[in-house]
Amino acid sequence: MRSHWVRLGAIALAALFVAAACGGAGTGGTTAAPSASAAAKPKFELSSFMYAIQTKGKLRLGTRDDNVPFGLKNPATGKFEGFDVDIARELAKGIFGANVNPDDVIEYVSVVSATRIPTLKDNRADLVIATFTINGDRKKQIDFSDVYFKTGQKIMVKKDNTSIKEVADLNGKNVCSGKGSTSETNIRAKAPQANLNLQDTYPPCLILLQQGRVDAISTDETILFGLVKQDPNTKIVGAYFSEEPYGIGFAKGKVGFAEWMNAELKKMVDDGRWAKIYKQWITPVSGDEKKNPEGK
Amino acid sequence: MPGGIVFEFPDQYLFPSGLWITIQLSVLSLLGSLVLGTLIAVLRVSPLAPLRWIGAGYVEFFRNTPLLVQLFFLYFATPYVGIYLGTPETFAFNAALLGLALYHAAYVGEVVRGGLIGVEHGQIEAARSLGLSYLQTLRFVQLPQTFRSVVPPLGNIAIALVKNSSLAATIGVAEVLFAGEIVESRTFRADEAYGSVALLYLVLTIPMGIGVNWLERRLVVAR
Repeated sequence: MRSHWVRLGAIALAALFVAAACGGAGTGGTTAAPSASAAAKPKFELSSFMYAIQTKGKLRLGTRDDNVPFGLKNPATGKFEGFDVDIARELAKGIFGANVNPDDVIEYVSVVSATRIPTLKDNRADLVIATFTINGDRKKQIDFSDVYFKTGQKIMVKKDNTSIKEVADLNGKNVCSGKGSTSETNIRAKAPQANLNLQDTYPPCLILLQQGRVDAISTDETILFGLVKQDPNTKIVGAYFSEEPYGIGFAKGKVGFAEWMNAELKKMVDDGRWAKIYKQWITPVSGDEKKNPEGK
Repeated sequence: MPGGIVFEFPDQYLFPSGLWITIQLSVLSLLGSLVLGTLIAVLRVSPLAPLRWIGAGYVEFFRNTPLLVQLFFLYFATPYVGIYLGTPETFAFNAALLGLALYHAAYVGEVVRGGLIGVEHGQIEAARSLGLSYLQTLRFVQLPQTFRSVVPPLGNIAIALVKNSSLAATIGVAEVLFAGEIVESRTFRADEAYGSVALLYLVLTIPMGIGVNWLERRLVVAR
C-alpha cells in the first residue's frame, strides 16, 4: 500500500521536472506560445535589487495621484496614469518581462512632495517617480537615476493679470507653492518678499488662484501645464528661473539598480518609447515634441 | 542634541515664530470657545424648548463632524458662499481661529451645562423666592458655582485645543507643526524636526496641566 503512494509521488515529481524542463527549453528561443511569458522573464544577478524585486513579484512605485500629466489616479477608472506612471510601466516590463501586464506587478503608493524621501527611507516603496528634482541635498539621503525629464520653474497667473511677468514681480504678492518642494526654496531665493502660501499638493493652489486669494502659483512648468489645462482662464508667464532635472529616486544601497535603470532609460530613448510617452502625455499640454530629455 | 535643530534656522518661518503663532491661535480660540460655549450651555438649560433645540443642534453638529473637515470647509469653501474671513494674508489664521473656537465651544458647552445642572435645585428655588429673576439666578447663583466645578474638565479641553491647533498646518497656518514640516523638508532630519515639535507642545501643555491642578486644589479648599 505504502509503496503504491511512493510510486505515485515519484511520478508526480517526475512530471513536475519535465514540465520545468520544457519551460526552461522555452528560453532557448523556440516560439512555444503557452510558456512565452515565462520565457521572456529577464535574468538578473542574485545579489542585484532587480532580482529581489522579481522574486518578490511586486514593484512598489511611489508616485503622485493628483499631478496631471505625470502621475494621476484617474477618478473615473481608479487607475494610475501619466508620464511618470508609463515610465514605471516600462521599467516593470524590464524586470518582469515584456509580456507581463505592468499593472499586475506594480503596487502603487501615493506620495506628495514632502513624503517622497521618507517613503523611500522607510522602505514603503522600491522607487519614486514623481516629478522628483535631483539636487545635492536629496542625493545625501537617497540615490537618483540619470535625468529622465527636464523642465524649469515658471509662474502661473489669471489671464487678466498684467502685473506679474517675471519672478521679481512676485515680491509683495501672494504666491502658492508646494510645502517642502524645491519650488518653495527657489521662490524664497529669487523673490524673498513674496508671501508664500504653502499647500501639500497643487490643486488647492488652483482653487486659491481662482478665488483671488493668491496672485500666482509657481512651480515646475510641466505641473503648471496640467493646472492651466484644468482652468483655461489662466496663463503661464515669464522665463524659466530654475532648472529642474527629474530623476527616479530609490533608497541607497540597492545593488546594480542605478546602472540597470540608466541602461533601461537609455533603451527607452533609443527605441522611441520615451518619445511616444512624451507625445502621449506632454505634447497635448506643451504643444512640442521631444525625442529625449534634453530635447535635442 | 535633540531639539538643537530649533535654534539652527533663524528665519521667519521657523520654530520661534511658529510657537508664537500656536500660542496666539490657542489663547484666542480658547477665549472664543469659553464665551460661545457658556452661551450654548445657557441655551441648553433654557426653559424655552426652541432655545434648547438650537443649543443641542449646535453641539451635535460641531461635536460629530471632524475638526479637519470643518477647517477645510472654512478655508476652501467659504468664498464660494460669499464669505471672506479676512485678507489673503490673514485668511488661514482667521479660519483656523474660528474653526478651533466653534469646535471646542461644543465641548465647553456640554461641560458648563453639566455644571449648571449640578447646582442644587433648592438654591435656585431659594433665589427665585428671594425675588431674583431667572437671569439673575443664572448670573449670581448658578454660573459662579458652575465655573468652580468645571475647572478640571475645562483644563482638559484647553489642553486638547492646544494640540488640535496643529491641524491648522494643513491649511497653511505657519504654526509650530508647519515649522517642523518645513525644517524636515529642508534637512531630512525627520526625527529631530518632529521630536522638537513634540517637545514644544509639551512646553505649552505641561504647565497648563500643572496650572489646572493648582486651581482645582485652591477652589476645592475655598469650598
